[in-house]
Amino acid sequence: MDLLSQWLSYPAALDRILSIIGIELHWAILQYVLGLPLVIMVALLLYARSKDERWHEMARTMAKALGIVFAVGAAAGTLSEFGLVVIWPNILEAAGRYIFFPLYAEIFAFLIEITFIYLLIFGWNKIGIKAKILLSLLALFGAWFSGALIMSVNSYMVAPTGIVAAYDPASGWKYDQGFPKVLLVVPNDVVNVLEVDKLTSLGMEVVGSGENGVSVLLPSKIVSRLIYESWGNVKVGESVLSLVIRNEALEGLKGLLVKDVVDIIVTNTVRSVGYTMVTFLSPVYLGSIFHALGSAVTVTAFTMVGAYSLLLLKGRNEGKKGYYLAGLRFGIVLALITIAVQGLVFGHLIGVEIARSNPEKLAAMEGTSNSIFSLSRSLGIERLMSFIIYGSFDAKLPEYDSIDKGYCVLDGKPAITDCRPPLILHYLYYSKTGLSLLLGFYALIYAILAIKMGSISTILLKINVLTPIAAQLISFLGWAVREMGRKPWSIYGIMTVDVAHTANPGDPLSYALIALIIISVALALILAVWRLLYKPSLGEV
Amino acid sequence: MIPQVYYLALVFGIHIVAVNLGISLSTIVPLLKRRADFSGNAKLDELAKRIFRVYAATYALAGVMGTAFTVFLLSFYPEFVGLAGNITLVPFAIAILSILLHFLSIVLYYYGWESFPRSYHFASGVLLALTSYTIPLGFRLVFSFLNTPVGLKFDGKPYIDTFEALMNPTFAPLYLKSILGALTFGSLFIATIAAFSLMKGDSVEERSLYSLSLNIAIVSMFLMLLLGPWYAMSLLSTPMKFNNIFGSLGWSVSGAQGGLDLSWLFTVKLVLIVVQIYAILRLTLLGGKSVSERFNLALLATISAALTILSGEYLNMFSQYPFFLANLPIVAPQIPEPWRTILGRSLSLENVSPLSNDPSLLAVTALGILVLLAAIGYFLYVVFFKRQK
Repeated sequence: MDLLSQWLSYPAALDRILSIIGIELHWAILQYVLGLPLVIMVALLLYARSKDERWHEMARTMAKALGIVFAVGAAAGTLSEFGLVVIWPNILEAAGRYIFFPLYAEIFAFLIEITFIYLLIFGWNKIGIKAKILLSLLALFGAWFSGALIMSVNSYMVAPTGIVAAYDPASGWKYDQGFPKVLLVVPNDVVNVLEVDKLTSLGMEVVGSGENGVSVLLPSKIVSRLIYESWGNVKVGESVLSLVIRNEALEGLKGLLVKDVVDIIVTNTVRSVGYTMVTFLSPVYLGSIFHALGSAVTVTAFTMVGAYSLLLLKGRNEGKKGYYLAGLRFGIVLALITIAVQGLVFGHLIGVEIARSNPEKLAAMEGTSNSIFSLSRSLGIERLMSFIIYGSFDAKLPEYDSIDKGYCVLDGKPAITDCRPPLILHYLYYSKTGLSLLLGFYALIYAILAIKMGSISTILLKINVLTPIAAQLISFLGWAVREMGRKPWSIYGIMTVDVAHTANPGDPLSYALIALIIISVALALILAVWRLLYKPSLGEV
Repeated sequence: MIPQVYYLALVFGIHIVAVNLGISLSTIVPLLKRRADFSGNAKLDELAKRIFRVYAATYALAGVMGTAFTVFLLSFYPEFVGLAGNITLVPFAIAILSILLHFLSIVLYYYGWESFPRSYHFASGVLLALTSYTIPLGFRLVFSFLNTPVGLKFDGKPYIDTFEALMNPTFAPLYLKSILGALTFGSLFIATIAAFSLMKGDSVEERSLYSLSLNIAIVSMFLMLLLGPWYAMSLLSTPMKFNNIFGSLGWSVSGAQGGLDLSWLFTVKLVLIVVQIYAILRLTLLGGKSVSERFNLALLATISAALTILSGEYLNMFSQYPFFLANLPIVAPQIPEPWRTILGRSLSLENVSPLSNDPSLLAVTALGILVLLAAIGYFLYVVFFKRQK
């Protein structure tokens, strides 16, 4: 099987590639905005307790780095934001209409971040140690609050609140029963014009009723068809809706846009759940936010390990060696803690959540297909994976080859030929996991050796310099698994990627030019950090 | 008017004034720095860096308020954002990439002040200045499209013919007027800083900066006086706006739908321009002033320039209320269905998304903005006025 061709075969391939480049630039930088305030705060606390100038110097250097990465990170955020507007306008419209609250609140988080980060940087020589600690705490709060809000929207896209997956580890796939299904609260006025029996025969389940309306679980193939028709400006008379509307009501409704009917139902659903909470109740939110923050701190910690190792290798001033060593030890301890927690706690949590809410993705991640060389199968760890994920060796992992290719489509619409996620995910996921294990073991061995040996070997320092690249690569692979694994959905179970996409995409040449500019900015940033942080550090030597 | 529009106006007002300041500062600072490099004048170098610190802070403010504007727009008017996103790839791409490069150049220019080789540093300054002009190029193209949709076409879906859109009669005067307004405001701002420094003690560099910035202000102000009427005349293509601004003053175009009468705001703007001209003339032609008098006049000119920009933007914004697209009533009959219906509602400022139309959300927003503006105020105090320990 040509795995790359499979991934490219979903709609809007070029736009997806451009989005990966833009968002990865933002995320690569953003991890430091999330991680550095924590490092600064801990270093300042250590300084306040010990009065050891090395901690103060470390905090000052990290604050300077934070100033640089925050400015470019904010610009890359603007780029991502407008990139979403012009490349994925329809999903953004849906987000603005139904799950706007975290994006709305994010502006306050951003204000907190920018105010306190720059207050810390510009006011460094004008404020005392207690004020610095307070400011770094507020900067940390702003950055993590911002991350928590944005991750809730992303989590909703991975597994929307109210989704019921199509898999049971005891009995297997449940596509024949209409799963996956989406929870909707249909207003009573709308219920009154619908042929409920017909809908029930199509797989709809009534799960309750109240003053807000009737709660139903609707097969996501019907939901995605309605969403497709909504953004295709189809009228009720030409829609599948006309098949389930009572004859006496149809005449008056057939001139309406499907979008208006869908809007009434989704607005009512969101209002019933609570518009401020709807994204935070996503079944994958908790694991997602912890995993993202953990990743950010891990990357920051390994970057410190790499940077201070480089300074130890290149520096000639013995007087500075103590400071570099302190920075290296700080980095390696933090890296060891975070990578362990990431793998054993947060990684496991998100894995279990994905298994429960998006089993198709899990099947692709585990490569349970006969058409590829499965690493988990060849390593003989399938039953172990079942135990880790479901808590039972007897539980069955979802089989990729048994996924219904058309589970996201109703009568050929939306125009998706294969609803299964890309199998390339299997190799991305196992590369990520393998590299994480390798990096984790290396950090453990290095920490033991460094403490036991006292002195630091040159070879190990050279390897240390490569650890930030490895950490960034793992983080990138993690995002790739998360985002590519959702395809062909943009919002799992609700909106497919062709619907989310712009009606007027750019040409390949202009996309290539934009990609080139984004990559150049990333390189310029690396060069700037090298020149502005690393070189002066050597100059002082 | 509905409250959501006031929120948009508030954050947009702060954003646009800060951005205008940024355009001129990112032009003038690299020139000053270059002059300091060639002459080896350390004082001028220090002066340029001080002004750049002001710029970095105001740009952060502009960035936050710009983001707030976009987020408010998305939350209150998602259908409009969806529609705009589907058709405005080219102008937004110009603006977005310019923003990315501009932020990068701010970082490179600020942190590289002492550590970059001169040629590299100057190159980042050139990038800084250039991108400050290309950002509004993209956005003003969108604004002029929202006056009258030149280049809008349909082939089963709406799209924009970019080259036709560039021929929009309101685009060139709007863009050029914005740039020259920014240069006037920014140069007066620098003249005020220089005059303030001169009050504390005379220096050749500050006197030279004071004269240079006043000269730039005079030239750009003069050109503004030509561009203002050009833009006003170009608004004949958007009769609704023209009538709302000039109707009560006796000038109007027939057949346009009425809206808010904003002649009073136009009159306020004219008065502010007169105040600027008066202050600039007093500063340049009528000699014999004390340093404090010079500072007071420069400050007066700067404040009136900032308010001129604000009133001009609000005139532009509110004169098409309740439409995002001023000429919608005129072009609507030519738009095919279902797009006529969709555009009709998505381009209405009164069609707020139901979920975000929550009074408690608006109240909390107001409180949040107040608290954070106070925090920004404290930030500016620490950066510019608090003494080092």
